[in-house]
Amino acid sequence: MLNYVASRVVQTAFVLLVISFIAFLLVANIGDPLAALLSADATVTERAELVARLGLDQPLLARFLHFLGNLLQGDFGLSYRTQDPVSQLILERMPATIELAFVSLLITIAVGVPAGIYCGVNPNSYFGRFIMLISTAGITLPNFVVGLLLIAVFSVQLGLLPSFGRGDVVQIGFWSTGLLSVSGWRAILLPAATLSTFQVAFIIRMLRTQLMEVGQSEHIRFARARGLSEARIWYVYAIKNTLLPVITMLGLQLGNIIAFSVVTENVFAWPGLGSLFLQSIQAADIPVIAIYLIFVGVVFMVINLVVELLYPVVDARVLRRQS
Amino acid sequence: MTTPLLDVRDLTVTINRDGRPITALDKVSFSVNPGEVLGVVGESGAGKSITGAAIIDLLVPPLKRTGGTISLNGDRLDQLSPKEMRRVRGGKIGFIFQDPMTSLNPVITIGRQLCDAIETHLRLGGNETKRRALDWIARVGLPNPDVQFKRYPHQLSGGMRQRIVIALALCANPSLVIADEPTTALDVSVQAHILQLMRDLHRESEVSMMLITHDLGVIAKMADRVAVLYAGRVAEISPVAELFANPSHPYTRGLIRATPMPTADGGVQLDQIPGAMPGLGAVPPGCAFNPRCSRAQSDCRSVVPPLVTQESSAFSCFHPLERDVA
Repeated sequence: MLNYVASRVVQTAFVLLVISFIAFLLVANIGDPLAALLSADATVTERAELVARLGLDQPLLARFLHFLGNLLQGDFGLSYRTQDPVSQLILERMPATIELAFVSLLITIAVGVPAGIYCGVNPNSYFGRFIMLISTAGITLPNFVVGLLLIAVFSVQLGLLPSFGRGDVVQIGFWSTGLLSVSGWRAILLPAATLSTFQVAFIIRMLRTQLMEVGQSEHIRFARARGLSEARIWYVYAIKNTLLPVITMLGLQLGNIIAFSVVTENVFAWPGLGSLFLQSIQAADIPVIAIYLIFVGVVFMVINLVVELLYPVVDARVLRRQS
Repeated sequence: MTTPLLDVRDLTVTINRDGRPITALDKVSFSVNPGEVLGVVGESGAGKSITGAAIIDLLVPPLKRTGGTISLNGDRLDQLSPKEMRRVRGGKIGFIFQDPMTSLNPVITIGRQLCDAIETHLRLGGNETKRRALDWIARVGLPNPDVQFKRYPHQLSGGMRQRIVIALALCANPSLVIADEPTTALDVSVQAHILQLMRDLHRESEVSMMLITHDLGVIAKMADRVAVLYAGRVAEISPVAELFANPSHPYTRGLIRATPMPTADGGVQLDQIPGAMPGLGAVPPGCAFNPRCSRAQSDCRSVVPPLVTQESSAFSCFHPLERDVA
């Protein structure tokens, strides 16, 4: 077990190193920081001074180590666009996106898992088929269409929920949370529901397929032959066999939402990382884009690490494959 | 005459293929007496496993029981509701599956699986349930029950897993155990150990057993009486000694002779039955065995021979083999 954890952590660290290097190459090779930072009438001496100050006269590897050292100390560089520290920009936007992602994950689990189990246990029932029909829509409709539909119904027609913004925000340390106010919850419902549409549909289909397959297996037949109740057979004996892929998918999807909810954030004017990313691309703000790239890498790797560390808890056979 | 524990009459199972019902099991009748081991032999596809599954209503669709009666201790199993049937499964009739590699749940510990089975039927409460589970792990011959209790199936060898399967089938004290090819998936050396274990457990607990196998060696070692199935019908039922010494049905004799046996001069005698058993839906009219039978006559080709009882044995053949006069 200890070996397993150690090997996963080392792998994660290595991948992060590679991502940082790519991000560094981006900063080092795209755009001209001198042109951006120097005034038009700067002298050659001023120019040489700046080159020395930014370390641009150093070899590539030395600059990368310097970059890495700064990263580890929390110095992420300055935005070309706003001249603010990148760390501050990201920290301002991150809570909104992460809260949105987790609320949509909650919706996915609360809706998708029970519905998926129902469809897997009763694949031929009318209600099960109805769910599958609806889920086809969830898979095929693009996010922004779902978002606009929800706004049209719940904001415009019914006037129940706001169509943009985060509502009232409470500041706790560096984290600004919208989950402590009623208006915050009202604001997060529509974008979170939009993001979870695809996830819910996906989880339903996956659980159904998995359960139908496990339901045919010999050990489930044997469990029946021992007279165990149907509830125990499905909810304990069968479900546990389907958890690995489900956890994997949920983890990947969570990463996807945190990193790439650009479209949905735009539709709902959600002040999150997605809109920051969009603005940075439009302004060719390389340092922000590079740090965002690393941030996305960290999110995926950390989620992946958590998921992989959960594997042996669910299925002890994972450890055997290791050795 | 003793009242049988399990009595199966005219059990019929059909499979629906393209809207056309095909008979997989055709009016199979037999009984198992208290404390007895009934061997059920036949080739692959003869309907042995289907018979076992039909008794506890565990047929895999599209197989379906369409006729006959099954009674256990006088209770009609074929008329039970699904909920009542659940109490019979495991509680009154234990079922030992063939392949220990696939029949244990891979993500649940041995101990949990045993406790669940015990708790479902005996309702003893946590501590006593666990004590019984540990006791069963020891009874089926696994060392360090406390360690095994926490282990997962993949941490055990095939033989050890089959011991756990046996414990799972027996742990709620059923009065009958149906063992479906319990040793077929195992190495020969392990087979012997498992058979010995089943004999010991049978002797200790007086449980009746229906032992399904294609291996006449296993039958000779374990069974009191034997039912021979052929193409979904009972060919012959006899006490084991009589069956081997004086088979009545030509198929039984063919089956015995097809088993390699050393002769007096040290060679190996092996006679095979010509042809192959008809598959589902291809059973010829009359006796199912008639195309392969050297004694077949015109009546064998038109009328299905009924199962007739003669002293301690029964057979379905118009022209049975004569008994050797001792």
